[in-house]
Amino acid sequence: MKKQKNILSVLSPYAYITPISLILLTFVAGSLIIAVCFSFTKYNIITPAKFNGLFNYQKLLRDSKLRQCIMNTVKITLMAVPLQILISTALAALIASRKDTLLGKFAKASLFIPVLSSNAVVGTIWKAILNGGHPAVSFLFGLVGLDPTMLLGDSTSAIITLSMIIVWKSMGYYMIITLSSLMSIPDNYYEAARVDGANSWNIFSRITIPLLKPTLILNTFLAIISSMQVFDIVYTMTGGGPSMSTTTMVMYAYQLTFKGGKAGYAMTVSNVLMLMVLVVVLFQQRFMKREASEI
Amino acid sequence: MRKKLMSALLCASLTAALAVGCGGNGGGSESGGNEDGDTADDSGKTTLTMWLPPLDDDTEGNFKPLLEDFEKENNCEIKMELIPWDTYEEKWSTAISGGEGPDIGYMYAEMYPTYISSGAVIDLSDMVEDSDYDEYLYLDRGEMMGGLYGVPIVTGVPFVLYYNQDILDDLGETAPETWEDFKRICEKATKDTDGDGKVDQYGYAVGLNSGDMSNLYMLNSYIYSLIWQAGGDIYEDDLKSARFNDESGAEALEFFLSLKDYMPENVLSLSGTDAFSTVFGAGKAAFGVTRSSQSQETLFKESYPDLNWDYVTSLKNDDYGTFGAADSLSIMSACENPELAMKLIKYICSSEFMTEYHKVAPGAPLTKTEQYTGDPKMERIVTEDRDKWRPLQVGPCGSEILENLASHIQSIMEEKMDVQEALDESAEFANDTLDEYWADNEE
Repeated sequence: MKKQKNILSVLSPYAYITPISLILLTFVAGSLIIAVCFSFTKYNIITPAKFNGLFNYQKLLRDSKLRQCIMNTVKITLMAVPLQILISTALAALIASRKDTLLGKFAKASLFIPVLSSNAVVGTIWKAILNGGHPAVSFLFGLVGLDPTMLLGDSTSAIITLSMIIVWKSMGYYMIITLSSLMSIPDNYYEAARVDGANSWNIFSRITIPLLKPTLILNTFLAIISSMQVFDIVYTMTGGGPSMSTTTMVMYAYQLTFKGGKAGYAMTVSNVLMLMVLVVVLFQQRFMKREASEI
Repeated sequence: MRKKLMSALLCASLTAALAVGCGGNGGGSESGGNEDGDTADDSGKTTLTMWLPPLDDDTEGNFKPLLEDFEKENNCEIKMELIPWDTYEEKWSTAISGGEGPDIGYMYAEMYPTYISSGAVIDLSDMVEDSDYDEYLYLDRGEMMGGLYGVPIVTGVPFVLYYNQDILDDLGETAPETWEDFKRICEKATKDTDGDGKVDQYGYAVGLNSGDMSNLYMLNSYIYSLIWQAGGDIYEDDLKSARFNDESGAEALEFFLSLKDYMPENVLSLSGTDAFSTVFGAGKAAFGVTRSSQSQETLFKESYPDLNWDYVTSLKNDDYGTFGAADSLSIMSACENPELAMKLIKYICSSEFMTEYHKVAPGAPLTKTEQYTGDPKMERIVTEDRDKWRPLQVGPCGSEILENLASHIQSIMEEKMDVQEALDESAEFANDTLDEYWADNEE
C-alpha cells in the first residue's frame, strides 16, 4: 500500500503537467521546428516543399521590403511602448489613490474594455471614427490642429496614428498588472514616509516606483513583444499602406504566404521575427534576474 | 489518496483526448486529394463537393433546389460549401495543402496562377466542344496561361464610371467619352458650393486605402481601366516580364495623378468603397467607380434614393477598357470524376439553371439562349458595350506583383515618387519575381 502511494506521489506531478506539455510541444515547439525546417524550402502551401538550402536566407539580405517592414515594426515599438508604460503606470497610480470610489471602479472597468475587444473590431471602429467626418470627432481633433480624415492617408501620420491606437487598445492591460502590483505595496511604507514628512511626489518616486520596478520591467518587455507582433489593427485600418509605410513583419509574412504563395520564405521572415523576440526575452530574463537579486 | 488518483486519471484522460484531437482521422485518401468528395457510396451514388463564396443573400438556398434534377438524373449528391469572401483564398490554400479541397471550385483571376502552375486545377480544353464556345458567351474568358481552366459563372459586372447627372447638368456637360472630357468635367465640378471656403464637391470620388479590401480593389476600380485605355497591359504577352512601366502605363498613371486635385483631400485615407458611398453616393462628386450589377437601379434606389445617376462603361483614349471579372468554376486535379464535374459546371452555367437563378439573383446571361432579366439601364454592359470590358490578364505571381504595384501607386499619389520611377521600381520587382518563377518552372 505504501509502495503504491509512493509511485502515485512520484507520477502524479508528471501527470499534471502532461496535458499542457503536450499542448506546448505541439503548438509552440512543434510549430517552431516546422517554421525552421520550412525556411530552408521553396513552399507555396499547395505543392510539397522543395529543399532549397540557404536561398531564403540569402534573399533576406537583399529584400528591401523586409528592411522596410522591420523599420516599421521598430517604429511602432518605439512609439507605442514608452507611452503604454507611462500612461498605464500613471493611470494605475491614479486609480489606486481612488480605488474605493465609484469613479475609480468605473475608470478601472472602462479602461479595460478595449483590452477585451478584438483587434479587428478596434481597427474597423477607429477607421470609421477617423474617416467618418463626424463633426464632433473633427472638432476634438481640431483642438490639436489635426484633421482626422487625413491621418491614415499619409505615410508619416498613418504609422503614428496606428501606434496611438495600439497604446489606447492595450494600456488597460498594463494598467491592471501595475495596479495589482501597487495594491501589494504595504500601506505602512506610505504611512512611515508621511510621518517623515515626504510629499506625494517623493512618496511616488522614492517608494512606489522602486517597488514597482519588477512590474514595470515585465510590462515593458511584454509591450515590446506585443508591438513586434502587431497585425490585425494594421490589416483592418490601412492594409499596410500607404506605400507600405505601415506593413509590419507579421503582415509581410502573411502577405508572402497567402498573396505571394511563398510560405517557405514567409517562415524565414517569421524566424527573423522570432530571433528578435528571443533577444528581447533574453534581455527581459536578465533584467528580471538582476532585479530579483537586488531585492 | 482518492483525490490524487482522480486528478491523475483526469489528467490522463485529458492527455488522451489531446492525442486523439491532434491525430489524423485515419481515413484520408491515398492520393492526398479531397477526402469527402467524389466518392461513391453503397448505392453507387457519387458525391461532388463544390466550394463557392456567397454569391447572393442565400446562395445555398437558391442553388440547392435547382440542382435536384441534376442529382437525380446523374445519381449523385452535390455538397456545397460556402466560404466567406474575406477568408476565401486562405481557406483554399490551407485546404488544398491538407488534401481537403473540393472537386469543383469558384475561382477568380488572382487565384489561378498558383493553382495552374502547381497542377491543382484541370485544363478543360479537351472537355469542351466548338459548340460550347458558341453557346457559352464568355467561355473564352476562362482561357489563361495556355489552357482553359474555368467556365465563367459570374461575369458581366465590370467596374464602370458612374456619373451624377444633376452635377453634369449644372455644368452644362454630357456624359464623358474621352479622357479629355472626363478631366474637363472633373475640373469644373470640383468647387466650393456653399461658399465656406472649402471644396465640398469633387470631380472624382476615389479612395486608395486598402484597410477593408485588398490593394487589388484599387487596381480593379481605377487603374486597369486607365492602363488598358492607354493601350498597355500588366504583362508582356509571353508572361515573362512586366510591361506596366512602358509608355502606356506611364501615360495612364500620369493621367491618374493629374486628377488628384479633383479627388477628395483624404483620397489615401478613404477606402474605395467608402469613397463611392460617402462621396459619390452622397452627391458630393461628379464621378465614382464601383462594380456594376444587373440590379444596380434597384440597389441604388435603396442606398442613394436622391442620386440622379447614369454610367459610362468605359472612357476611350487609345482604346476602350475596364476591368470586368470572369470568376469561373474550375475542376480540381484531385477530382475523381472530372467528366461528371464538367457536366455539372456546364449545367450550372446553362440557360436552364441560370434563367431560374437570375430571377432571384440578377446577373448577366451566360449563354446565348438565356434572356437578360436585370435592370434595363444596365443591359448595355452585356450588349453594345460587351467589348469595352475584359478580365485581368492572368499571369504568374499575380497577387504579389499587383500588390506591389498598388503600393507604388500609393507612393505616386503621396508624391513620394514620380510616376516613371515608381513604375520602374515596381516593374523591377515584378521581373525579379517572374525570373524566379520561370527559373523554377522551366527546369
